[in-house]
Amino acid sequence: MLEEALEHLVKGIVDNPDDVQVASRNLRRGRVLEVRVHPDDLGKVIGRNGRTARALRTVVGALGGRGVRVDLVDVDQVR
Amino acid sequence: MTEGNTPVVEGEDALTSLEQEGEIAADYLEGLLDIADLDGDIDMDVEGDRAAVSIVGDSASRDLQKLVGRDGEVLEALQELTRLAVHRETGDRSRLMLDIGGFRARKRAELTELGAKAAEEAKGTGEPVKLRPMTPFERKVVHDAVAAAGLRSESEGEEPERRVVVLPA
Repeated sequence: MLEEALEHLVKGIVDNPDDVQVASRNLRRGRVLEVRVHPDDLGKVIGRNGRTARALRTVVGALGGRGVRVDLVDVDQVR
Repeated sequence: MTEGNTPVVEGEDALTSLEQEGEIAADYLEGLLDIADLDGDIDMDVEGDRAAVSIVGDSASRDLQKLVGRDGEVLEALQELTRLAVHRETGDRSRLMLDIGGFRARKRAELTELGAKAAEEAKGTGEPVKLRPMTPFERKVVHDAVAAAGLRSESEGEEPERRVVVLPA
């Protein structure tokens, strides 16, 4: 549910919603939701002073993802 | 929209665009409620020059409390995202107000009282009254209450320590 909720929240605010992908990865240190967006949208999902990224993390935390890390990357970035 | 042949009354135009903001916001939020399986209905309104959208439901609903968060932290985050969603669709910056479970309405009543009391105090002592740091929404409500009491107030400091100072007459 968390991935889907995060995907919905991000798709609604970017110019290229079809390029949004959210993947959940379980790392040793805990769960990470990795959000990939079109390179032109990266600034948008981060926001001024990271404001938008913070808002996304706050909502994910409230929906049960406390302790879940949210990473924002653009689709061109390699892992 | 074709230009020139459809005369539009400006006030009506503004109202329609605020209603449109409300609808975009409602879609965005409804989608989230569905995915997260949270109970809540969406009310849309226009308050002054802003679109106002509320998620309402059982006042005791845990679901809605979760979306408000401590001190409305989650509510502010959702409002921020909702404004961005509206901006994406309309191309204009949105000043939409979001409320969840009546949180802002209650807060507004408390802060209006606080603003009125601070104005009383400033009048009585002739000294400026400094209030605790507040969010932009909270400060706006206090400024309005102080103005209603016939005094002036200003904000000082940097976020998140920005606070209202009520000035004596």
